[in-house]
Amino acid sequence: MRFIFLTILSAIVVVFLNPVVPFWVVMISIATLSAIIYPNGIGGFLGGGLGMGLTWLGQCIYLGITTGSSLPDRMGDLMGLGSGMTLIFITGIIGFILGAFSGWTGVLFRKMVQKTPQNVYKG
Amino acid sequence: MKYFAFLLMLAICVSLAVLVSKPIGQIPPIAPLLDPNHGFWQNTLSEDQLATEEIDLDNLSAPVEVVYDKNLIPHIFAENELDLYRAQGYVTAQHRLWQMEFQTMAAAGRIAEIVGPVALELDRMTRRKGLAYGAEAGLKFVQENDPETFKLVEAYADGVNQYISQLSDARLPVEYKILNYRPEPWSAYKSLLLLKYMSDMLVGDRDLEFTNLRNIIGEAGLAKLFPEFPTENDPVIEAEKIWDFTPIPVSKPDSVNYPDDPQGLKPLTQPIEGTGSNNWAVAGKKTKNGNPILANDPHLSLNLPSLWYAMQLSTPTHSVKGATLPGALGVISGFNQDIAWGVTNATKDARDWYKITFQDESRKAYQYGNEWKPTEIRVEEIKIKGQEAFLDTVIYTHHGPVVYDRTFREDRVDVNYALKWTVHMGSNEQKTFILLNKAENFADYNTALDNYTSPAQNFVFASQSGDIGMRIQGKFPLKWREQGKFFMDGADPRMEWQGYIPNEHNPATLNPERGFVSSANQHPVDPSYPYYVFDNSYEHYRNRRLNRRLRELNQITVEDMKALQFDDYNLQAAEAVPAMMNLLGDYKTASPEVEKYLKELGSWDFYADPNQKAQTLYSIWSAEVFESIWREFTDQTVSIVRPNSYQTIELLVKNPNDLVFDLKSTESVEHADYHVKAGFDSMLVALQKWEETEGDYSWANYKKTTIQHLVPNFKSFSVANIYTGGGAGILNATGSRHGASWRMVVELGPEIQAFGVYPGGQSGNPGSKFYSNFIPIWANGEYLNFNLRTAEDQDEILFKTTFN
Repeated sequence: MRFIFLTILSAIVVVFLNPVVPFWVVMISIATLSAIIYPNGIGGFLGGGLGMGLTWLGQCIYLGITTGSSLPDRMGDLMGLGSGMTLIFITGIIGFILGAFSGWTGVLFRKMVQKTPQNVYKG
Repeated sequence: MKYFAFLLMLAICVSLAVLVSKPIGQIPPIAPLLDPNHGFWQNTLSEDQLATEEIDLDNLSAPVEVVYDKNLIPHIFAENELDLYRAQGYVTAQHRLWQMEFQTMAAAGRIAEIVGPVALELDRMTRRKGLAYGAEAGLKFVQENDPETFKLVEAYADGVNQYISQLSDARLPVEYKILNYRPEPWSAYKSLLLLKYMSDMLVGDRDLEFTNLRNIIGEAGLAKLFPEFPTENDPVIEAEKIWDFTPIPVSKPDSVNYPDDPQGLKPLTQPIEGTGSNNWAVAGKKTKNGNPILANDPHLSLNLPSLWYAMQLSTPTHSVKGATLPGALGVISGFNQDIAWGVTNATKDARDWYKITFQDESRKAYQYGNEWKPTEIRVEEIKIKGQEAFLDTVIYTHHGPVVYDRTFREDRVDVNYALKWTVHMGSNEQKTFILLNKAENFADYNTALDNYTSPAQNFVFASQSGDIGMRIQGKFPLKWREQGKFFMDGADPRMEWQGYIPNEHNPATLNPERGFVSSANQHPVDPSYPYYVFDNSYEHYRNRRLNRRLRELNQITVEDMKALQFDDYNLQAAEAVPAMMNLLGDYKTASPEVEKYLKELGSWDFYADPNQKAQTLYSIWSAEVFESIWREFTDQTVSIVRPNSYQTIELLVKNPNDLVFDLKSTESVEHADYHVKAGFDSMLVALQKWEETEGDYSWANYKKTTIQHLVPNFKSFSVANIYTGGGAGILNATGSRHGASWRMVVELGPEIQAFGVYPGGQSGNPGSKFYSNFIPIWANGEYLNFNLRTAEDQDEILFKTTFN
């Protein structure tokens, strides 16, 4: 549940915040979200990763379709990667990796600062 | 443990973020490039998808309206010139920022800053030629002599800078993203630098090669193989023109000692062959509608983003439209409501070289007459991407910068040559275009041209009132015969230029009897012109074809003029092929392959159309024949030039048994037929190889016209293998990398009818649909409607923007 929540919120951050801030601010934001939502480690990793990766992937596909531009293919060719499809895929992967490690870092941060409940019944 | 886990993960995360935001070698930072919100994906959007109705532009006195037609051609309507040029700067930067900056970086010798050490040698050469120095002198000249123009150039720069300051990462041109740098502020200096860049592109000299030739073949050899006027001279200004002025006398020194030690120098890069242009105007008496028609097509390197950017610029007093140069103010080749004008390069040995004798190793003084004159030292700091800056010390003399010295292209300490070039002298070309844009008649056009120095141009003119004219304008030194053809002694004051030809003595004509004016980079004048005229690169074919057609044609229409710009007739082939076939005789006719080629050549109408096979045959055959004829001649340890194609063909046709055809290395005596046959053999080999590897050898397939991105490595941003005809020496001068970079035809009737096209598109963004959309139109010889628009005109509007 928390993982899905993190995925959705990360995606929202990318959609609304990313246009005005660079990718590393998005990474910090996802880490923060992850620390607040506090899924487990895998949930943080996948939630942040899918949130950012899928959104980047979706944004590329959306731009590719709505503009009909030849630029992705030209860039793919220039970078020696063949077609623009490869670049869409790579963009998604990069987004996933950046989001995933941010999400995981957020979880671990929360774990670190979280006080382990001790002697809750005392007194 | 949990501290450790967090810190480890944080370290991984930060390392990742750093890794993807740093360049690795030549690979740009990957995350900023791929980020769909800021990276190259944003450059997939075309200009109409990004259109905004209003843009804030400071320092305007009134709102400026910009109407884009369906081809993204902006029509700027401003209340005054200051607002107009401010908006021109902004709008041009919106579409061409990377290109305009890159071109000025090239002119300033700053390419290594962007691409690394690979461009260091190029940058050194640019700096040593003194382009930046010339632009500085130009800026000072404009500031001191023409504050009005300076204000306008500053307004343009302000427009560009306001765009740069509003520029988000997402809107940054994709080339910046790939090469990982950002635009720096624009300035008036950069606009002037751009005009110097044009000079560098168009002006060359062969002084080094002629110095060497003079030593090798002597004066008589030069006169025979490199005559200063061709047999069939068809000059820019009609040969029958009477020069109605008293020329300024030029005195030649009694004895001239040319320095003969520059043999080892490596020449500077020269304008590439095929760089040239056509322009002409026909008088109303030769046209169907009785209106003058003007045409212009400058031939330059075919590049993307295109060198030209189409615009209409309007104030309440004038409306001008045509091709602008991104970075420079106004329209360069175009028309307004009263007149039209166009430009072609008027080459005329504008660069001379002087041997410098330094007093000692310190190079602080050099000999001049009986004294030692002090030098000036300019240290050029060339920044290099990824390396420490390179410091290049360039010595300046009163002649100009010492380009060749012990550190550059010459190992010997005692060989130093300074370059004298009008580009180094203060001038105000920008004013010419600002005045031409609003000129109303021939007198205004002449006033505008009086400010023009370099690169010298043939300015064609036509007006609605019925005048046609041509003026060859530049700052031309007064020279005695052969002065500046060879390297000169800089210590000898008698070698100085003796002043400049006054503007009113520059060759010009108004409404000549023949009913047309034209230029195609040929000799400017007939030998009767009283001043010395020399250049090695004059055209001998396009001019004669053009004038022949213009003489023949009557009842001329705009369509005729469009057809003439796209005329593929190869006059050189028409003159050479019959003689070559004759000299070939029945050589190898037994082979079926040969029979096929000969049949193709024999039935050829000499049009270099894209599907023509004979044009390919001629192109290879003639090149191989010329190579065979001049191989021994050019086999020298020093740089020389070989006689041009016109002279070679003339010898081949008229004197096939001339001694120049004999190979000294053989015992037998060779005549022209030997070379024609040898060239034919080479052609057979080349064709066989071509057919095996590439297949079809029809002309378009063979020449592979390519419009290349300004960064040649960005191959996928180029457009290759365009199906179109023409070639060097042909009116449609489209070769493989050069050709008509802009075509314009204007009929100056009561309602001006104008057509234009260029091989590119209005957008500089390779992701935009407006990046290369004109290319198919251009390749087919078709045109876009370029009629003037009013602000109220609602037809075919893409979008409108108001600057407040």
